[in-house]
Amino acid sequence: MSVKCEIGNYAVHSGDKLKKEETVVKRLFSMLLVVCVLFSIFGVTVMAGGKSGKITIWAWDPNFNVPVMAEAKARYQKINPSVEIEIVEMAKADVEQKLNTVLASGMKEGLPDIVLIEDYNAQKYLQAYPGAFADLTKKINHKEFASYKNELMTLKRKIYGVPFDSGVSALFYRRDILAEAGYEPADLNNITWDQFIEIGKQVKKKTGKAMIAFDAADGGLMRIMMQSAGEWYFDKNDNPNIVNNEVIKEGYIAYKKIVDSGIIKKTSGWNEWVASFNKGETASVITGCWIIGSIKAEKSQSGKWAAAPTPRLNLKSSVNYSNLGGSSWYVIEKSKNRAVAEDFLKTIFAADQDFYQKILVEQGAVGTYLPSQDGVAYTKPDQFFGGQKIFSDFSTWMRKIPPVNYGLFTYEADAALMAVMPDYLAGKIDVETALKKAEEQLKNQIDF
Amino acid sequence: MRKSLKKILQYAFLIAAFVVAVFPFYWMVVGATNSAVEIVKGKITFGNQLGKNFKTLFAEYDVARIFFNSCKVAILTVIGQLIISSMGGYGFELFASKARDKIYGIVMMTMMVPFAALMIPLFRLIVRFNLLDSHLGLILTSLTSVFLIFFFRQSFKSFPKEIIQAARVDGAGEFRIFYSIVVPSMKATYAAAAIYSFMTSWNAYMWPLIVLQSNQKKTMQLLISTMSSAYFPEYGVIMAAILISTLPMIIIFFGLQSYFVQGITGSLKQ
Repeated sequence: MSVKCEIGNYAVHSGDKLKKEETVVKRLFSMLLVVCVLFSIFGVTVMAGGKSGKITIWAWDPNFNVPVMAEAKARYQKINPSVEIEIVEMAKADVEQKLNTVLASGMKEGLPDIVLIEDYNAQKYLQAYPGAFADLTKKINHKEFASYKNELMTLKRKIYGVPFDSGVSALFYRRDILAEAGYEPADLNNITWDQFIEIGKQVKKKTGKAMIAFDAADGGLMRIMMQSAGEWYFDKNDNPNIVNNEVIKEGYIAYKKIVDSGIIKKTSGWNEWVASFNKGETASVITGCWIIGSIKAEKSQSGKWAAAPTPRLNLKSSVNYSNLGGSSWYVIEKSKNRAVAEDFLKTIFAADQDFYQKILVEQGAVGTYLPSQDGVAYTKPDQFFGGQKIFSDFSTWMRKIPPVNYGLFTYEADAALMAVMPDYLAGKIDVETALKKAEEQLKNQIDF
Repeated sequence: MRKSLKKILQYAFLIAAFVVAVFPFYWMVVGATNSAVEIVKGKITFGNQLGKNFKTLFAEYDVARIFFNSCKVAILTVIGQLIISSMGGYGFELFASKARDKIYGIVMMTMMVPFAALMIPLFRLIVRFNLLDSHLGLILTSLTSVFLIFFFRQSFKSFPKEIIQAARVDGAGEFRIFYSIVVPSMKATYAAAAIYSFMTSWNAYMWPLIVLQSNQKKTMQLLISTMSSAYFPEYGVIMAAILISTLPMIIIFFGLQSYFVQGITGSLKQ
């Protein structure tokens, strides 16, 4: 294009001086036009024959998302050998920091084509940077994914991402310890938190072991409780909804009941928490399915574990299915190779069933692409879990997780609720005051 | 009696301080010899996983290249900072003018601007200059260090002005005076500044994170950060990487230690 313009300018400036030259320029011009047209036709045919170009992907976790992406890359390159794919590994906080900085700078450069975003933060990015992410509503058949995943990436009826891993929650427990306390696996199915506490008391009494490790500063359990009832910290208009939220109140009460019942082992931080069940000090763990890697890391406990549905709250709306964590893939709207990036996600993450079997076996990645979940890997009994087909169970539970829109400030709300928790647990304030304080704190922080 | 009690208390305090200072290093070394599960369980004795951890580290990441990247950026930054900041400090100290103190004040004030406020404009600048994803983008933006200008100026204050005047009388140019008279007699200051500069550059995290885009250009700090962000981090392997990452600093610090103490105390005199 630029060549054409230069010759055009040349014609304007020197044309009136030398007429002969003018005709030469005109001829050149027309020849150039022909070449341009030929080139564009040729170019189009190349594009239609097979995808090409380079796409860059930002992701975190060298043991999980990154190898999953590497597998997807290998599969896609088999079909489209001329597509170059670079997976840039970064820490999660780094991906967020970088994405924020570059999007805020308004520059097109320095952005990836595909980026992994944690589900709890999805709305923050979608709403803070309108137009930054590609609308994939018509590109991907979202009906084939677990419905709760679609809700969190929907803004104004447009669905922006490709759902990836599930954090479907479960009550993981030690069969042997529970048996010692006189409980069969059936006793743990579809229980309420109150029942869970009762079982915990028996376990403590008969085996001396704590039922769960508990970090009073961690809001994870609260998020599991809320989603089990299809509620969140915010209402539909993204305003804080804490004081009058029955679900949060019930969850808050459950926190205190759990602590007061004496069935917990207090831990602080991730490492102590993982150590508590690796060391065999606690009889159960209630969290997202991604914990399996950490549970299985202690090989001596093989065959001793099992998984049951998550306990539910004493509310009609609450079910035994919930979620904790998880993330999804997003395409950058201004990406130079957006079509390739979209095709890549569609071909692998929204179609390749075999791919999902492979990443389940190799990385323990539980996807949310439902058609893949009748596959061999999902239906195979897991010896570590005493022959239970846990992935098949996860798949069943995942479909029943109530969809929730996480809003913009999940972590801020989490922090506000957990900040007033110690006073409530110590009995200094009642639940109403605690929730009021938390909502005030949240509003101050995020300036509603 | 009282004297020996005082001694005992002194030593007890020193030992406690020593443990606090050295334990993290000890844990790092021990961690590199254990597996992730053992570390999580709180094991603080030597294990037998050292070889395995290093093997995994080198198999999974291009550590040699990343280490080289870090060295390259740090060394070039140190050279640039030492030259520019020392000349800056020297100029501010030696050449009096009406505007000098005002300019100096403004320069010093920039120390108070948090990096977060500069990040986005700097990023735009780097993109315009086509320096995104290049080490040059890291080096150029950190060529001057306001702190080092201050540090050098304080040191030059103690340099006898008579020598400079004598050199001028003998007909030496200002650059000549600086390079053949001032610099050689301020080695300790330069050593201290070099350690400081190397440390900040080696540990730089936020800016490299924003500028560097591809895996091959990464620095050690970015690699370690990447590794630690996992659902189940391989702490043993991470510790092995941290071990490698602290080596240059240990070497440089012990190599220049005597100068460092001299340089710091020297700059505070007067």
